[in-house]
Amino acid sequence: MKVGIVGLGTMGTTHAAGYQSVAGAKLVAVADIQPNRSHAVAERYGVRSYATLAEMLEAEDLDVVDVCLPTFLHRQAVEMAAAAGKHVFCEKPLALTPEDAKAMVDACRKAGVTLGVGHVVRFFPEYQKAKTVLAAGEMGKIGTVYMYRGGGGFPTAWQDWYARHEWSGGIVLDLMIHDLDFLLWTMGDVERVFAKSTWRRDYGRMEHALVSLRFANGVIGNVEGTWLPLESFKTEFEFAGTNGLLSHSSAHAVSFKSHQLQTPGEAGPQGVTVPRSPVTRSPYSLELEHFIDCLHKGVEPIINGEAGLRAVTLVAAAQKSIETGKPVGLERG
Amino acid sequence: MKIGIMSFAHLHAHAYVDAIRQMPGVELIGVADSDLSRGQAAADQAETKLFPTFEALLESDVDGVVITAANADHRRLTEMAAAAGKHILCEKPIATSLEDARAMEKAVKEAGVKFQMAFPCRFIPAVQNLKRQYDHGGLGRVVLIRSTNRGKMPGGFFVEPELSGGGAVIDHTVHIVDLVRWIFQTEIVEVYAEIDRHFHDIPTEDCGLLTMELANGAFMTLDPSWSRPDDFYTWGDVYLKVVGTNAVSEVDMMRQSLERIGAGKPNYEWDFWGSNSDYYLVKEFVDSFREDREPSITAADGIKALEVAAAAYESGKTKAPVRLR
Repeated sequence: MKVGIVGLGTMGTTHAAGYQSVAGAKLVAVADIQPNRSHAVAERYGVRSYATLAEMLEAEDLDVVDVCLPTFLHRQAVEMAAAAGKHVFCEKPLALTPEDAKAMVDACRKAGVTLGVGHVVRFFPEYQKAKTVLAAGEMGKIGTVYMYRGGGGFPTAWQDWYARHEWSGGIVLDLMIHDLDFLLWTMGDVERVFAKSTWRRDYGRMEHALVSLRFANGVIGNVEGTWLPLESFKTEFEFAGTNGLLSHSSAHAVSFKSHQLQTPGEAGPQGVTVPRSPVTRSPYSLELEHFIDCLHKGVEPIINGEAGLRAVTLVAAAQKSIETGKPVGLERG
Repeated sequence: MKIGIMSFAHLHAHAYVDAIRQMPGVELIGVADSDLSRGQAAADQAETKLFPTFEALLESDVDGVVITAANADHRRLTEMAAAAGKHILCEKPIATSLEDARAMEKAVKEAGVKFQMAFPCRFIPAVQNLKRQYDHGGLGRVVLIRSTNRGKMPGGFFVEPELSGGGAVIDHTVHIVDLVRWIFQTEIVEVYAEIDRHFHDIPTEDCGLLTMELANGAFMTLDPSWSRPDDFYTWGDVYLKVVGTNAVSEVDMMRQSLERIGAGKPNYEWDFWGSNSDYYLVKEFVDSFREDREPSITAADGIKALEVAAAAYESGKTKAPVRLR
């Protein structure tokens, strides 16, 4: 499968690296309106670079377009790729609104191409392990769940697009959708959502939100997300069931620690970020590998367009609750 | 100063007994209990005497009583003690209904006795740190709070609604609400709650999640669930994360524990070594009548906390936010 990536911000460059170890896929081209970005990635991986998706589609014979643009540009790019008959892998969130997401799902169905969405948390080993344990019923019937994500500070990006709510959808859509998608996957449909956020109340861009969820199966959920710059980025969850508690905190999941005593010389590893919880395969490689594998086999990826739409729909309900101060009901999907 | 205990229905009574016995200048003169065998066992354990009735205890020269009966009995015992001119330390929640709570406030006021609510969390040093930090401006303006007060299912009268007034929500909400009101000098103005029973086969709810708006402009969530398994490594938690404009602070009281592996049941346990907040709660009560002043935790505080729990129950039923005056 010949792959072209459009958008070379944090996620685009991460995906470019990820494809290097994906069997059955070959990154052949990248596109970004900032030439320094596209040239750097093109040079690193020996691929061709373009300014726009349209130019890349015109010049290349791609099988897959990987969309890593800012959220507000997803719909346009996905529809363009689908119309050109390309399979599409789209970074999360699928779209700004359920309406956009639905249109994208329909466009891909109509074009007969497969749409996959990058809810990469489902490929993180701690979350996969939790999914396995929960699915096996080992915790008994789940009663309450808490999930947390954040503390790494505000994301910096092209045109500061995260700071514009109409471009990024704010923290619930951009960051907390990871945990909301995971809960839809593990706990099923949400019946009702009530949410509060600092958006338009405090902090300006460094949004912090608390979401209350009631699932169709009765489970009560509390999801927290923050863009505040705390001691470090952290993820946490706790599932409380009739058989006990299943919990995780990335603050404790530290398998490697190192404290620099002296600044290394020029040859030393300065500026290299050392993962505190290293794993042999990046979750980003694994999510891309799964998608490519599904294309080879002609089956649906586990996070297809409908899954992406479902997550965006839940986010929209939470956003509506934040704006109205009222609980918002959801239809069962 | 002579103190007596009225009822051992609430297990917290034993902690108050220990506190009283350690306190200089304070004497535990006896206990009374509607369940005589439970009362006798407690009296034996505390090396004190069992009065045959509550009346007998109140006819003695006791100065103050600790009411640790089932929640529904708080009003009756408070009115009895007040009529006898005895000072009262009342276990939380103040009562099972706002009507009872207001009658208690009136009774103690008319009798001119001291009445203190048992909100021991105010005496946790980490909580007092948080209050100092807030008072000195270190936190800035409070933006949001996430809190949990989760525990094991306590059983006993706690799960009999006519005696307890409710389950996990009334049991745990009042602790955290009192802390938030006290630390930040604010009130809860709106409550939304999801409430259910998932963990235990009991007549009351055992879990929930409250989302609240505060008068100071902040919002908060509170998980008051009895969601800790029976063999959890400690009784539960008191956790507050406060996000302010100047700082983000966390209180997690049970972290002051030794980890104990293999030498107990269950196999992994936390052995708490933090300060004894019950001691300082009782000391505040004794000091209030020793110094003839208002106790720092009043019936009004008990009523305010109960109002929030009542609003949570209403919201749980109507599935809509409930405004408080």
